[in-house]
Amino acid sequence: MDAIYGLFPNLDTARRALSALRTGSPELRIRQESIIVISSEPLEGEGLCWNEQRSFMPWLAVVGGLIGGTAGYALAAFTQRTYPLPTGGMPIVALWPTGIVIYELGMLGAILTTIVTFLITARLPRYRNRIYDPEVSYGKILVGVTGADRDLGAKVKQRLQEQGAEQIKEIMGHQE
Amino acid sequence: MEPNSVPQNSVVDQEAERIREDLLRPLFQTTWRFYTGVSVLVAIGLAGMAAFIYQTYAGMGVAGISRPVFWAFYITNFVFWIGISHAGTLISAILRLVNATWRRPVTRCAEAITVFALIIGGQFPIIHLGRPWLFFWLIPYPNERHIWPNFRSPLLWDFLAITTYITGSVTFLLLPIIPDWATVRDRATGCRKRIYRVLALGWQGTPREWHRLETAMHIMTIVIIPVAVSVHTIVSWDFAMALVPGWHSTVFGPYFVVGAIFSGIAALIVAMALLRKFLHLEEYLKPIHFENLGKLLLLFSLLWVYFVFAERLTVWYGNETSEMAAFWSIQRGKFAFLFWTMVSCNFIIPFPILAIKQLRTITGTVIASCTVVIGMWLERFLIVVPPLEQKYLPYDWGSYRPTWVEITIMIGTAAGMILFYVLFVKVVPIISMWELKGGEHTETVPAEAPVVVGGRGSGLENTLPSTNS
Amino acid sequence: MAHRWEMIIDLDRCTGCEACVVACHAENNIATVSPKEAARGRTMHWIHVERSWEGEYPNIRVRFQPVLCQQCDAAPCEPVCPTYASYHNAEGLNAQVYNRCIGTRYCANACPYTARLFNWFNPVWDKPLNLQFNPDVSIREVGVMEKCTFCNQRITVAEIHASAENRELKDGEVTPACVQSCPSGAMVFGDLNDPNSQVSRLTRLPRGTKLLGELGTSPKITYLERESSHGAE
Repeated sequence: MDAIYGLFPNLDTARRALSALRTGSPELRIRQESIIVISSEPLEGEGLCWNEQRSFMPWLAVVGGLIGGTAGYALAAFTQRTYPLPTGGMPIVALWPTGIVIYELGMLGAILTTIVTFLITARLPRYRNRIYDPEVSYGKILVGVTGADRDLGAKVKQRLQEQGAEQIKEIMGHQE
Repeated sequence: MEPNSVPQNSVVDQEAERIREDLLRPLFQTTWRFYTGVSVLVAIGLAGMAAFIYQTYAGMGVAGISRPVFWAFYITNFVFWIGISHAGTLISAILRLVNATWRRPVTRCAEAITVFALIIGGQFPIIHLGRPWLFFWLIPYPNERHIWPNFRSPLLWDFLAITTYITGSVTFLLLPIIPDWATVRDRATGCRKRIYRVLALGWQGTPREWHRLETAMHIMTIVIIPVAVSVHTIVSWDFAMALVPGWHSTVFGPYFVVGAIFSGIAALIVAMALLRKFLHLEEYLKPIHFENLGKLLLLFSLLWVYFVFAERLTVWYGNETSEMAAFWSIQRGKFAFLFWTMVSCNFIIPFPILAIKQLRTITGTVIASCTVVIGMWLERFLIVVPPLEQKYLPYDWGSYRPTWVEITIMIGTAAGMILFYVLFVKVVPIISMWELKGGEHTETVPAEAPVVVGGRGSGLENTLPSTNS
Repeated sequence: MAHRWEMIIDLDRCTGCEACVVACHAENNIATVSPKEAARGRTMHWIHVERSWEGEYPNIRVRFQPVLCQQCDAAPCEPVCPTYASYHNAEGLNAQVYNRCIGTRYCANACPYTARLFNWFNPVWDKPLNLQFNPDVSIREVGVMEKCTFCNQRITVAEIHASAENRELKDGEVTPACVQSCPSGAMVFGDLNDPNSQVSRLTRLPRGTKLLGELGTSPKITYLERESSHGAE
């Protein structure tokens, strides 16, 4: 994919560049979704941290926990009723031990759901079609645009330059 | 293999870069000490494995257990290692939950201890089986044997709890490593780069990814704490559910959890001191960390004393014949030496060291932690063996003495634990680079240093240092 | 009608001769161990006779008590087995299924009578004892728990014969090896569900006690204390 981006030395400059791209997006004919920011640490600030749909992952974990707990009850109750073997004068499906099984498998359900939800919503693993620059791991913040119009590429570059980009780079074609 | 050097044409924040280089150095530089250490540990581990194979071949009789002491060293070690595994949960999860920022350099050391202690501890239920090749019968899956495991058995609860805990702990450890593996991927060369590229899962560092990561970690933090509490409670119920005088006590649940966290903190302090020395992390694992952990260790030492006192007082006051037999053998009889050594190691020695501020130095806390680790092992032993030696009917009383098989396996598994940890340190930066704030690691801020903005309390506390305008 | 097996042991008649111990070894293919292993507590007596002294010289009395698996109705060894190797069967016996046992030894710890035994090694019989196995009883391999089964093999055979002849079992038709071999007739075995059986009669005697009955395990063996014992428990 095509991309034009600048590497910024710190949070302030990156933030300014981001808002410059955002406000200039109608003029530069770039969509909001094609503005990318990449950093080696989580950032704060408007547009830099992802605010949308903030709270659905925990709810999914709760649902996963409920499913796990139900599965735990089903496992204990079904298997014990199918092959009923009395032990120690206890009932076949004993209340207290079944509670432990429900609890543990419920927690396992919540954990597994969280892992899966994380991978899916963070869109990992993804090895192709990534924009990345190794300089990010030296502390730079990458702010740029993917799929920008060729003619307006120079204007995007100018915007980025104005906001204090140390380097401007351009990627043409498929990048892995 | 040299990492990629700093690219030209860029002004790099020197401070932050130095931190990254310090923390990545163990991955890229290996000394002779590493190779010798690993060889020794592998040799000891193999000796332990050989002893286990011998035991499987010749029969459990080569160990020292007998009637009536049917559980001894292996179960002691099982409980001990599962207890040690609570280090990570406390430091990583609880301190993360209450936003104690000083825990940042310590979290990954602690989480690694948790995962490996669980792996090692989880070996012992297999090692102590009479027919260990059939351990998989404990796994509840549809099979041709027309039978399922018994969910009324505490050993099944053990299996479920430890499976859940290990899944959670591995997740808890691996998720925050992904961004650091991305950094290593960028710095590595050759085939190492390819490996880390796969491990990093294609991590970029977009705000979406960061947000998802932090949300997932937040959920895991909340989930892992009750799981950890339940795990050691369930392990304690292996004893509490049996009608053995000295075992059948309702206090065992919380008693064991407190003891677990106690031994976990001690193990963590020892691990941190060793990392600090061998990886030259003096600037990151600072005296303040040891001091804070030392205070926690003191707290748990007092809690431990409280539980031991409460348990022993109740038994002594009740004066029930069967219970008093084991009680006196621990306090005055055959096990008195071990009992009072345990009390010294867990309380008498650590208490002044940890309570007096001048003594609560790195050396002091490490000494206290070493005694605590020994004391907690003794505590597990004294819970398992003396009550079994003297159960209800005196003509069934017996005694226990370990053989070389049990001792070799015990030392072998301990070597295995250290080996896993050493290999881990070589593959993963032991201090989380992205969680460590840029300038927070220095206690005094020099005048020309960049201003560090921090302490937002939202959890998203990491900001790059901004330049002075 | 389902049976409920019970055993009565009259401590007034037990002479401590240990014929029951030997008979049990012979019937159930139990191996002996070397003196060294015995000193380490590795003996395999499913039934063992315990001797205690009462009183002061010259008025000393000796008391012999055969101790075996009590086949408890609320057996603490049953719920703790993770593979259901120890469970309660329909006739009230605590069954030990050797094939399901993986040797966690939890049941042995949970049993207050320490009635359960573990195979520390593969059993070995000196010649010519290796020629006298009972074909009705399997030989347990290393790593498996075992204990008294009230000679379940004899119970099963008697039940098969009785149902083949279309009749109920008679009282005294089934005797475990220990009961059969007791010279003084101190041990009685029978069906508690049969109101006319000898055990039903004897179990109601005021001399009857249960070993560690206060623990709530509901043991099935009733010990008849001696008539003139001091401070019988």
